[in-house]
Amino acid sequence: MDGQYTLHSFRRLGVGSRLAIGLPVLSVLVLATGLVSLRLGPVPINTLDVVWAALSALGIDGPSVDRTAQLVIEQIRLPRIIVGAAVGMALGLSGTAMQGLFRNPMADPGIIGVSAGGAVGAVTAIAIGLVDLFWLALPAFAFVGAALALLLVYGIAAVGGRISMATLLLAGVAVNAFLGAVVSAIIYLLPSEGPLREILYWLAGGLDSRSWDHVRIALPPIAVGAAALALTARDLNLLALGDDEARSLGVRTGATRTVLLAASALVTGSAVAVSGSIAFVGLVTPHVLRLVLGPDHRVLMPMSALGGALFVMLADMAARTVIQPAEFRVGVLTAFVGAPFFVFLLIKNKRQVYTL
Amino acid sequence: MIPKKLRALGLAATLGLSLILAACTVPIPPTEDIQSDNRAAPRPELRDVPGIVDPDNTGWPRGVEGLNGAVDIPGQPARIITASIGHDEMAVALVPLERLVAVGAVSKDPTYSNVAGLLADKPEISRDPETIIAQEPDVLVTSPYFPGEGVDALERVGIPVVQTALQHDPEARLDAILLMGYIFGEEQRAAEFTAEVQQRYDDLVAITDTKNPRPAVLALTRYSDQIWVAGEGSTEGSVIEAAGGVNAAVAAGISGNQTISLEGVIVMAPETIVIAQPIAYGAEEFRQDLLDDAALAEVPAVKAGRIHIVDSKLFTTLSFWNIRGAEELARILWPEDFPNLPPEGFSRAE
Repeated sequence: MDGQYTLHSFRRLGVGSRLAIGLPVLSVLVLATGLVSLRLGPVPINTLDVVWAALSALGIDGPSVDRTAQLVIEQIRLPRIIVGAAVGMALGLSGTAMQGLFRNPMADPGIIGVSAGGAVGAVTAIAIGLVDLFWLALPAFAFVGAALALLLVYGIAAVGGRISMATLLLAGVAVNAFLGAVVSAIIYLLPSEGPLREILYWLAGGLDSRSWDHVRIALPPIAVGAAALALTARDLNLLALGDDEARSLGVRTGATRTVLLAASALVTGSAVAVSGSIAFVGLVTPHVLRLVLGPDHRVLMPMSALGGALFVMLADMAARTVIQPAEFRVGVLTAFVGAPFFVFLLIKNKRQVYTL
Repeated sequence: MIPKKLRALGLAATLGLSLILAACTVPIPPTEDIQSDNRAAPRPELRDVPGIVDPDNTGWPRGVEGLNGAVDIPGQPARIITASIGHDEMAVALVPLERLVAVGAVSKDPTYSNVAGLLADKPEISRDPETIIAQEPDVLVTSPYFPGEGVDALERVGIPVVQTALQHDPEARLDAILLMGYIFGEEQRAAEFTAEVQQRYDDLVAITDTKNPRPAVLALTRYSDQIWVAGEGSTEGSVIEAAGGVNAAVAAGISGNQTISLEGVIVMAPETIVIAQPIAYGAEEFRQDLLDDAALAEVPAVKAGRIHIVDSKLFTTLSFWNIRGAEELARILWPEDFPNLPPEGFSRAE
């Protein structure tokens, strides 16, 4: 009862207050998770060495540390953690945007076909053997696939000149189903078993062997997309009131939706390109945060970015450590944790989640 | 009153339909008895072979116990299908090629199969039971991975199906050959062949068993950025042990084939790394990446440049060909003890 009252009171605080409390709390949690994650791994490294090695990798000089420890932190753990955080941030943000845009609690980044498009791109690159010739082929194809899928969904919804959200949603469902069939067809028609293994593991989603190259691929587009999404947060709130109301309050509804869709596709496509399909982050993160923070997207957007990052970082930390030195799949872990947690939240809070 | 022409047409149609139905229900030709001999002498080497119901029965019909249950084989199979690479490789050693009527596509792929060249002209089957029924086999021997529904469907049309799991320990490997020889009615050939395989293995371990200390060896592959290591119970691990190495992944607690990070490689500190992955699937790039990775610079195998790409089909396809893999690895680990190339292959049935 007290807990519910506190939550209710917190949701009634102003946007600035909620951000002033929430952002530092989540930022500290993300940083702390990052540090703990840096500390954990098959190669034992003491905490001080971890800190100095990490600072050194970020260009801040300190006492010298063991060379192997330095390289493990710099070349293996740090880029992986950064990619994980970026992927989580992208999925959390785009999940929030999609749920707000479609006013549908079941919406997630996959709903506009971006994840399925990315999967078709990646699977094609693997099936035709391009990944063995050129490592960038996989993320590049995944990204192009994600972008083409979005264009297809948007193109279908735009037939006749006016885009309706319902048509967009149904077009997304249809394109998702079609692209899923394309992936199945490619798998079925593979001439040998080698690529099959690669495809299946890619589809399971993971952060194995992520390097600074992956950071360089993913971070810039995710940063650009995240900035665009953050800027549309106020308009997204107004869109929830209905198109006429939003227009009367100065929102260019068509342009706002286009920006939201394009930015969501950009961040999701970039995430899928470097991590495969990591499930449930985009669905669960906004739900959890909406419970605590309320539905205002000006609060929800930045907090979902941090919340998504935290979710993926924790999942990856578990994936790296539970059966070390072997590793588990991050995508499998997020689904294992995310699905039951999501159901729990639905049952516990079904009356409160979407009330302003 | 039905006109005469119409009646004649009806009669012809009925006859035609009857003929078609009769043709459809004609059973698959009965098993051809090549050397049916119910008075054959018992063979002592069959006594403790798992799967042989009555080792004293070397006549027909004979019974075997597969993973799918008891199976009666009515007569010596003339038309054989063995639907897994490992089983195909054994079948090639035990029966003349003409008795193998069809194989899976993978067995014709030289990337994975040690007998691809011999099977190139064979018709292909898939897991669709109809593709197998079309070849009218007298017996199908396959792995546990063959779908259960497919096994049921084949048994319903009267094809004896025996599912057996292949193992990589030396004794089980010989038992598998003897069991297959028994299923095919080729006990003599199976006995000769197990002696050959045993000899190759004994010749190898007679040298490698004396080695002390043994080098830590790691078998790695990389698919889609994921690094896989072969641990306890893996085929690659058994090859490493036979070649006189210690599987570094086992010491690190890895069981089966699992993914690891580069950190895992550092912790396992192998003195030799073997990449059991086809060149066509990025083995050379993986090797170069391992050599170039600064984080791995202190790993003994990387420091000494002892990263070898090996013929993946000798290390990963479960059959007696793994001995050939062990011979190749032994030449890498102990070049002074194995100066000569081992025999290229194994004998085949005439």
